[in-house]
Amino acid sequence: MLTKIWAIAYKDLYLTFTDRNLLLIMIVTPLALSSIIGLAFGSFIGGGGNDVPIASIPLAVVNLDEGVDQNGTRFNNGAIFVNALVPDGAPDPDNTLHQLTDAILLTDADAARAGVNDGTYAAALIIPADFSANLTISAARPDLLPVAVEVYASPAAPVSGSVVRSIAESFTNQIAVGNITVAATIGALTDRAFSNPLFGVQFAASAGNGTFTPDFAPAFDPAATTITIEQQAITGAVATFNPLVSFGSAQAVFFMMFTALGGANSILEERRSWTLQRQLISPTPRMAILLGKMLGTFVTCVVQVVILVFALTLVGSLIAGELQFIWGTNVPLIALVILCVSLAAAGVGALVAALVRTPEQGNVIGGMVSLLFGLFSGAFFNTSAIPGGETLSRLTVNYWGVEAFIKLSQGQTDIGLNLAVLLGLGIAFFAIGLTIFNRRLNT
Amino acid sequence: MQQSILVSVRDLSKQFKRSSGESFFAVKGVSLDIREGEIFSLLGPNGAGKTTTINMISGLLTPTSGDATIGGHSITKDPLAAKRLLGVVPQEIALYPALSARQNLDFFGKMYGLGGVVLTKAVDEVLDLIDLTDRQKDKVDTFSGGMKRRVNIGIGLLHKPRLIYMDEPTVGIDPQNRRRILDTVLRLRDEKHMSVLYTSHLMEEIQEISDRVGVIDHGEMIALGTVSELIQKIGQEDRLIFKMGDQPVADAILRRIESDVPTVTGVEYKQLPAETGDAINTAEGVLTIFAQRGRKALPDIIRITNDVGLEVLSVEIREPDLEAVFLSLTGRALRD
Repeated sequence: MLTKIWAIAYKDLYLTFTDRNLLLIMIVTPLALSSIIGLAFGSFIGGGGNDVPIASIPLAVVNLDEGVDQNGTRFNNGAIFVNALVPDGAPDPDNTLHQLTDAILLTDADAARAGVNDGTYAAALIIPADFSANLTISAARPDLLPVAVEVYASPAAPVSGSVVRSIAESFTNQIAVGNITVAATIGALTDRAFSNPLFGVQFAASAGNGTFTPDFAPAFDPAATTITIEQQAITGAVATFNPLVSFGSAQAVFFMMFTALGGANSILEERRSWTLQRQLISPTPRMAILLGKMLGTFVTCVVQVVILVFALTLVGSLIAGELQFIWGTNVPLIALVILCVSLAAAGVGALVAALVRTPEQGNVIGGMVSLLFGLFSGAFFNTSAIPGGETLSRLTVNYWGVEAFIKLSQGQTDIGLNLAVLLGLGIAFFAIGLTIFNRRLNT
Repeated sequence: MQQSILVSVRDLSKQFKRSSGESFFAVKGVSLDIREGEIFSLLGPNGAGKTTTINMISGLLTPTSGDATIGGHSITKDPLAAKRLLGVVPQEIALYPALSARQNLDFFGKMYGLGGVVLTKAVDEVLDLIDLTDRQKDKVDTFSGGMKRRVNIGIGLLHKPRLIYMDEPTVGIDPQNRRRILDTVLRLRDEKHMSVLYTSHLMEEIQEISDRVGVIDHGEMIALGTVSELIQKIGQEDRLIFKMGDQPVADAILRRIESDVPTVTGVEYKQLPAETGDAINTAEGVLTIFAQRGRKALPDIIRITNDVGLEVLSVEIREPDLEAVFLSLTGRALRD
């Protein structure tokens, strides 16, 4: 029986890998796309200082914030930025922001921009004059106003620019939330004082003698709030961003989904052309035929990804001018990820092939599934920026596969969850798909 | 000598469900036997239950009830053993166009458990039989329709089955290739002693090659036997149709033909509108004579018409055929 399963799988592999058009889609297109992106970001690839360390980003901070008066006290929210980013003296080794950036405080926005232009800084963070005013709510103005914090980043350092932009967005959100919290708390105390005269007297006395000193600092303190800068680092090393791995793995998995869905769809085409029935009439168990078809799809996916991994390694090495193991050096785990992601993709293919009626339906629905998986997983743009994007991406095979590849490229080995999810999806989809298709063959 | 039974089908039924949820029987209690070394044809219009019956015999569909055996192996209890004895030539060109003729034969040979030297030898023999040895390495895609049909047949013969099922193997090919295929079918029976289960819409083909015919309609076997047995069963006679133009034929002449010519069982004369398309509505006399042996009766009828001075414009002999059998059994033509 194994001979027959392999004969079916081998036939499919032969048909696939002798079809020039298919090879163009499976191998050449993702390789070309990834290589173009790789060349565009060529300076980030390779060792010897070419890696992009996500640490010590040269950053100029300019605080133009004029502050705001509230209850007789002047607040300057822009100073929170400065205090958090610019160390007072030597950088604190326990402060992730101090480690992430090498920030310096400037007073002139134009000087900061010029510094970015001449490469002194990777980015400049310019806090506007109305920063505090716009982020402060009052009885007269109960809503926040938009704040335009400028992140002036060098086009030559897009990653650094993105990191600084993330920091700015996190801070701004935290300050806004903190201000709302303060206002709400004070508002609640005032309302209570008005409604409960006894409490009002006690509150006024406490405020007067200084025993009521609420501390709202945690609302603005990145160390005490939820501001976190995730930094994946190997022991003693900093995380690196390699566009060839990020884009290459995303493209490889995206195009592999097409292969998997197309491969599984071939079972419907075989049913139409009667070559499937011809096999079913032979003394070959039905399940062996279906397994042979699925094995063919699975092996095709594996071969496709292996070729792309090797080819992108070659491209990375050529760009860097020396041999670069851009996918990391943990070959057994890389192989395991390839096997699991291929299994999951082939499983999705089996399920779609079982649910549709005709090859045409399979092509349309398969294409849609591939595209949606690609979209949700961020193969085209960063979906984590849109609401629910992160959750959506986790529903795709692509997410778990690409994340595992990136982790391995960064030297991490904590990909157990990725492998478990991919394996689980693969087995479940295969089992459901084969059961449904087997049933349909008898009608 | 009585041939032994190779295929035995007993009370085979298959029930399907429509999308509306309603159940219906595509095949209802079909029984038949196919003997060793005979060509057995299944006759019936589209949707009669022919394909469903054959799909059950070949193991593509599981019967709702009943069973069939091939060489004593039940298709429900021991399907793989039964399938080993069966070769199939589908109506569709069930080949991989991107593979060569040899690669197609190799692949399907493996599906029948052939391998190594045995497979190589079997493929060589089949390529020789279908006369494609010199084109064996060419992709099927580059073949003519007739050549593809021959590869399609070759695959069914690879494992030397005892029963080969051929579903309309001559559809869409030129007369020369058609003749070649029919000769191959006869050679399989006569030289290889294979049993052949054959279906075709072409009556003359079935009539020419079949040892026995089963007529199936509305999922039921309505007649089964040799071609002559079936024709005898419906009791039809030959019809001799004489076109007489506008000459009147007297009743006395009709009675003379009926009484004087042996095997004639009836005479009929009708004036029909002429099929000339002229504006003038001329009548044409058609004399129809029913006889058990039309060709034998013809000289005597011509002698009588000469005697009475009638000029016969044309004569046509219509002998009963399977089409007539089907018409008689079902009340409609096979292609309706």
